[in-house]
Amino acid sequence: MSDPVLVIGAGVAGLTAATQLADSGIRTVLVDRLPIVGGNAMDLYKAFPTDDCFYCFEGSRSRPGIRKCFYRSAILDQPNIELKVNAEVTEISGSPGKFQAKLSVGSQYIDSKKCIMCGLCIERSNAFSLPSPQCQPQAVIYDPELSDEGAKKAEEECPTKAINLGAQSSEETVQVSDIVIATGYHEMKPVSIDEYGYGKIPNVVTQLELAQILDPNGKSGGALVRPSDDGQVKRVMMVQCVGSRDENYYPFCSKICCVYALKHANIIVLERDGTQVTVVYMDIRTYDRHERYYRVARDAGVRFVRGRVSRLEACEDGTLDIIAYDSLLDKYLKFNVDLFVLSSALEPPKGSAELIKSLGLHSASGFVGPADSTSENEVVAGDHVYVCGAATGPAEIPESVTQARAVVSMILQSRK
Amino acid sequence: MTETEEKADPPAVMIEPIDISKLDPDFREGIRSMPNGEELSACFACSTCTAACPIANTWKYKPHQLIRMILLGMREEVLSSEEIWLCLTCFECQERCPQNVRVTDIFFDCKNLAAEESMIPDSIVGLAKELLDKGQLYVVTADWEREDMDLEPEVPGLSTEEFKAILKGTRTGRIVGGDE
Ligand SMILES: Cc1cc2nc3c(=O)[nH]c(=O)nc-3n(C[C@H](O)[C@H](O)[C@H](O)COP(=O)(O)OP(=O)(O)OC[C@H]3O[C@@H](n4cnc5c(N)ncnc54)[C@H](O)[C@@H]3O)c2cc1C
Ligand code: SF4
Ligand code: SF4
Ligand code: SF4
Ligand code: SF4
Repeated sequence: MSDPVLVIGAGVAGLTAATQLADSGIRTVLVDRLPIVGGNAMDLYKAFPTDDCFYCFEGSRSRPGIRKCFYRSAILDQPNIELKVNAEVTEISGSPGKFQAKLSVGSQYIDSKKCIMCGLCIERSNAFSLPSPQCQPQAVIYDPELSDEGAKKAEEECPTKAINLGAQSSEETVQVSDIVIATGYHEMKPVSIDEYGYGKIPNVVTQLELAQILDPNGKSGGALVRPSDDGQVKRVMMVQCVGSRDENYYPFCSKICCVYALKHANIIVLERDGTQVTVVYMDIRTYDRHERYYRVARDAGVRFVRGRVSRLEACEDGTLDIIAYDSLLDKYLKFNVDLFVLSSALEPPKGSAELIKSLGLHSASGFVGPADSTSENEVVAGDHVYVCGAATGPAEIPESVTQARAVVSMILQSRK
Repeated sequence: MTETEEKADPPAVMIEPIDISKLDPDFREGIRSMPNGEELSACFACSTCTAACPIANTWKYKPHQLIRMILLGMREEVLSSEEIWLCLTCFECQERCPQNVRVTDIFFDCKNLAAEESMIPDSIVGLAKELLDKGQLYVVTADWEREDMDLEPEVPGLSTEEFKAILKGTRTGRIVGGDE
């Protein structure tokens, strides 16, 4: 029997690669450092280009007869996938086609096969939480740092005996034929860009943080509220290219922030009554079919200011006074807003540099570059090493999925 | 006077930023509801209109800036600008706009709004007065050119009286009316 394929990262790209390989009869070890799969896409609320939301699971739960979601059967019940959450690859040795990957698997406090998400443990202790109603594996997560008496009670009372507080982390080595890197991206926390006050002023947030405020499953039930006092937001300002296209941070264009900024702007203006949005930009890059978001935004009355923010001051009432330079009018404009949203750069996730180095891959501004930059196979990162999704650089979901499928087809061909 | 005594002059006026909350948020929708105004919001400030315009190089506010000012709600500035009246109505801008913004027509809308509020430059009021007084802007006079071409000194059968009467009942009449 041939060795399995190792897929690092269980975001949309890694999940697609793993499920399709598994469905084609290839054993797959799917590793993610987080306790649940889905990666960044779990936090997006509605997603372009279809504006679908990620609550298919929550939606199907209320419909009688549908208890299992597609992903549960595709990932957890698929015998060819060995899913390892809370896990990281610590070392890779061996040779192409026969890699030895050392995995460090965090303590499995909750047996996801047993947990029925009854919520009892969450009532007993803050150490338990449900990351999202449609999370996969379908189970609560446990944070040992918050351990207390309630947690011990929960362990005893759990109706399915799914909790094991004494669980230990483990190490194992797997031999794999191919490695698929699907480690995605991280949204930069722009703390070091002083002029925007991120990290100091509570009503200054990033786009990913805004997505979580807008999320109907979030704390405010989807109401657009200020982090400082949960007061209703009436005026929003967004700033594009924060840390992207900037030689001091990342020289590249993060490619999708214009699209999702306008996706958010449209949701706010069209679905959250009476809220005004101003977007301060250098260029609006809503590439190919996404130009629609820009057009809708303009018609909806989103205000666009080409230029930069020159001054930002936090007022006592939680609002922000902002002066922006409008380079089209050659005038300074003064605004007062409740929420200031930064379209922050999408950077390589922690550990990327080490992974690239250990496998001798090419770095493309810190992301995983193609083995041969002149070839059309951007998903081929090395000998028996593939890359897909945002691990190649900022990418949208459809593109990530397409690349994952390309990887699967290349692995299938190589095994013929 | 020695060199050290020379100092850079402080700026003559400190320019205050434009306070967005003081602008007129209804102006944009007002223009959009006027004839041929609905595409206004499609403008993405590419400045094709300004590039196309044969005379904007002498203007303080270029066509794309005027459109931006309308979108921002700078009602006062737009309606009192001389540019909307200097426009040749050649339609070059409108012809080329990639978003089908009817720039020239929108400037007509602005002129109509300005006229409603009596914000018309004196030179234009002067022309209207001339039209009302004489029934024509360019009065034909007996001169050597007509003579050279064997034409009668007066234009035969030209009567401007009726035209003047009609004009009096129009907005042109009302605009000039106050001065009389
Ligand atoms: C604010 C915002 C809005 C967006 N909106 C949209 C939208 O509307 N439509 C759209 O198409 N796209 C949108 N995107 C982009 C979308 O998030 C990405 O296209 C998608 O998440 C990429 O999936 P991925 O699997 O490549 O990476 P990720 O989602 O980043 O997944 C990578 C996974 O790998 C894991 N990982 C990373 N490194 C390691 C490691 N060393 N070991 C183990 N595990 C690791 C991570 O924990 C993560 O689970 C948006 C992005 C942002 C920031
Ligand atoms: S008590 Fe047990 S079954 Fe219920 S949510 Fe907690 S871990 Fe899951
Ligand atoms: S997508 Fe837009 S906001 Fe993001 S880096 Fe590129 S130009 Fe800037
Ligand atoms: S050409 Fe059209 S879209 Fe471009 S700036 Fe002028 S009005 Fe706007
Ligand atoms: S119609 Fe007016 S604004 Fe447009 S190009 Fe001609 S002169 Fe310029």
